[in-house]
Amino acid sequence: MTPGTAWRRIAWAVLAVAVVIAVTPYVWLLLTSFKTRVDILSPEPTWRFAPTWANYPAVFIGKEYLPLLWNSLLIAGFSTLLSLAIGAPAAYVFARERFPGREDLFFFFLTTRMAPPISIAVPLFLFFTATGMIDTLHAVIIAHTSFNLSLVVWMMRGFFADIPREIDEAAQMDGRSRLGAFLGVVLPLAAPGLAATAVLCFILSWNEFLYAFLLAAFEGRPLTVGIPGLVTPHGTLWGQVAAVAVVATLPIVVFAMLVQRHLVRGLTFGAVKA
Amino acid sequence: MQGVDTGGTRGRLLFDRGTAWFLLAPAAVLVVIFLVGPFYYMTWTAFTDLSFANPDQHGAFIGFDNFRRLMREDDIFWSSFGRTLHFVVASVGLEFVLGFALALLIHRSVRSTRVVLTLLLIPMMLAPVAVGLLWKLLLQGDFGMVTHYLRSVGLLARDAAIFSDPSLVMPAIVAIDVWQWTPFVTLVVLAGLMSLPREPFEAATMDGAGPWRQFVDVLLPLMRPIIALVLLLRGIDAFKEFDKVFILTGGGPGTVSELLSIYAYRVNFKNWDIGYGAAVAFMVYLVVVILCSIFYKAVYWKPSGERVAA
Repeated sequence: MTPGTAWRRIAWAVLAVAVVIAVTPYVWLLLTSFKTRVDILSPEPTWRFAPTWANYPAVFIGKEYLPLLWNSLLIAGFSTLLSLAIGAPAAYVFARERFPGREDLFFFFLTTRMAPPISIAVPLFLFFTATGMIDTLHAVIIAHTSFNLSLVVWMMRGFFADIPREIDEAAQMDGRSRLGAFLGVVLPLAAPGLAATAVLCFILSWNEFLYAFLLAAFEGRPLTVGIPGLVTPHGTLWGQVAAVAVVATLPIVVFAMLVQRHLVRGLTFGAVKA
Repeated sequence: MQGVDTGGTRGRLLFDRGTAWFLLAPAAVLVVIFLVGPFYYMTWTAFTDLSFANPDQHGAFIGFDNFRRLMREDDIFWSSFGRTLHFVVASVGLEFVLGFALALLIHRSVRSTRVVLTLLLIPMMLAPVAVGLLWKLLLQGDFGMVTHYLRSVGLLARDAAIFSDPSLVMPAIVAIDVWQWTPFVTLVVLAGLMSLPREPFEAATMDGAGPWRQFVDVLLPLMRPIIALVLLLRGIDAFKEFDKVFILTGGGPGTVSELLSIYAYRVNFKNWDIGYGAAVAFMVYLVVVILCSIFYKAVYWKPSGERVAA
């Protein structure tokens, strides 16, 4: 299995090309956010140019996009907290308890995650309109919590299952209640898994578009819903679009790199442990 | 309700019923109110004539009329259904082949995968909306960076504009999806490759099997669960594709790039034809649930709940 040098060189060349293809478009977005209108609209792609900072304040302060960033943070933050608080205990029960219909119920959680948003969007839209919660952060937070919940259940069940049952039993021997054993002993042991799950929930909520777009198109809209509004059939200010897109993506890219190890597990619903 | 359980001896329930329900209840309530409820509402409205565009249609029960209309009269639905299937097969197929090849390459020639993976990861972590906008910028007719280079190497005619040319729109959308999700296949397949046992390969080498035979007879069978997992997860996601296409073309020009989700959106939120829209949404849901149960059967073991892929 030791590849020769020629094979090695070809392999590295192919990999280099793949990496360049993967990264260049995003680099172009970063560059565009620092370009003036003239540089952006130049028919020859401009790789070297005099950078300008003007796009960022122009859109975040001038066009008041700063509150959208705040909305994104609140929605992703609160829906993550909620889905963990509700999902982790349920996952613990799925990991430890045997009861009839457990696997069916577990599968049911998966289908809720897979459900196409468009098919339950109308009832949710009507529900939130009827309760006066349409176009508020609450509506989006609840919607995101309900789809992230199953991810938490699926991921955390795996992490809890990795912790030997004997640990719960020992904690109970020491006189803790079952709830106490879960909160005081098992949950702290599962903390790394919990953190990875939290980051993934945050990313998925932050990146989500359709629910947010339908449930909070104006006041409560997050960044993902706000960016398309900057694109007009004529005279789109691409520098500003790029500036918002960078702010909407860069933190997530950095975040994702931090939890890279757990990413595979999360994105495959715990089926693959990397 | 069970009595006080002091033991925790093996085989005994670790919970009494009360605690278990207490821990499960919030999740169940949330799911019932915000997922099961809406699902039932959708299923019910699919059998009514509810429309917000037409004040006469208050939602009277009309039986299977919506589904009859969907099956027999709605050509747009069927063409968008076919288009969606094409999209799924083309993009997931390409992603799978490219992603698998890339994973093999990385597995065999890169000792420390961290840096390569970190960079490859970027496209799939971007918000789909941002991906849509990014490619809209890159493929602009008069100043798009990618357009420029495609033209200079002769892959694109000088006067062609990708998003207004009906024959180029879907290939472009497939290419963008491939750009975004190939890294996902690579990441998962690589994780699978790294967890493979060495012995079968050593045995095959002893038996004189060449690299190709090893790949076909040893590696692929061992990777079967991972392959099923990747294809189904990507398939389900691609079938639901909405964000990128919505941003890039909105389904146009005409209905050339109108995928099923976009069509369902149009019927519900543009025409406000809620009853009929529910029937369309129901069909999308049905296909996803079918794919989903195949996923579950193929990747997870039902009776024990044990994971096959590890």
